[in-house]
Amino acid sequence: MNIDDDLSAWAAVTRLSPAEAEAIFQQVITPAPQLNARWWRDFSAGLAATMVASTRQQRWAA
Amino acid sequence: MDPETEFRRLYQAHRSAVHAYFTGRTGDRDLAADLMQETFTRVWRHLDRLAGMGADGERAWIFTIARNLSVDHARQARTRSAALRSLASQPARAPRLPSTQVIESDRVAAVGKAISELPEAQRVTLTMAAAGQMTSAEIGAALGVPAGTVRYRLSQARTTLAAALGRYDEQDQ
Repeated sequence: MNIDDDLSAWAAVTRLSPAEAEAIFQQVITPAPQLNARWWRDFSAGLAATMVASTRQQRWAA
Repeated sequence: MDPETEFRRLYQAHRSAVHAYFTGRTGDRDLAADLMQETFTRVWRHLDRLAGMGADGERAWIFTIARNLSVDHARQARTRSAALRSLASQPARAPRLPSTQVIESDRVAAVGKAISELPEAQRVTLTMAAAGQMTSAEIGAALGVPAGTVRYRLSQARTTLAAALGRYDEQDQ
């Protein structure tokens, strides 16, 4: 076996199969699921309120 | 041409080269597939930037993304290794190599092992030529090095590989 045959045999098992490549393609073009907008709005509002409240407590304590 | 058709054309044209590049860098075809997916995810998100680029410009842009990802991955891998070493007080394990993952044939495993032991620049170049089926000029454009340097690295890699396989054949007899 010459080195070109060796490299070809190695490359054949290293390359992605057409099925693997197509699966990756589909994953790339499929949009990732988005966070629910209402959940995100409520979470942000709650976080902001908690931060404001904690800041007020620190001022009062000082 | 609609964006998905345009993206499929790009993907078909460059996916083997990008996968070969990451396989050469990481020594792991599955990890290389993950990094290839991340590369093409970024290409897909910024497809409009490719408008008007020729084939060489497309390849150069895609490989700029791939090289940046490779640098980020290497940095993260070093950080992870350091963290694991400090937690476990054990040496980090070397990345899995193609020969230990998917290759059943002893001969092909010997080829994979010999490639994994090449210096990185030679390993990446040889993998892009063999698995990516790229010319010296294409590899040079992708890596940002002259084609003559690519040919020299390929020559060195093939000489080292031939010597390693010669030793394997002697042991096998």
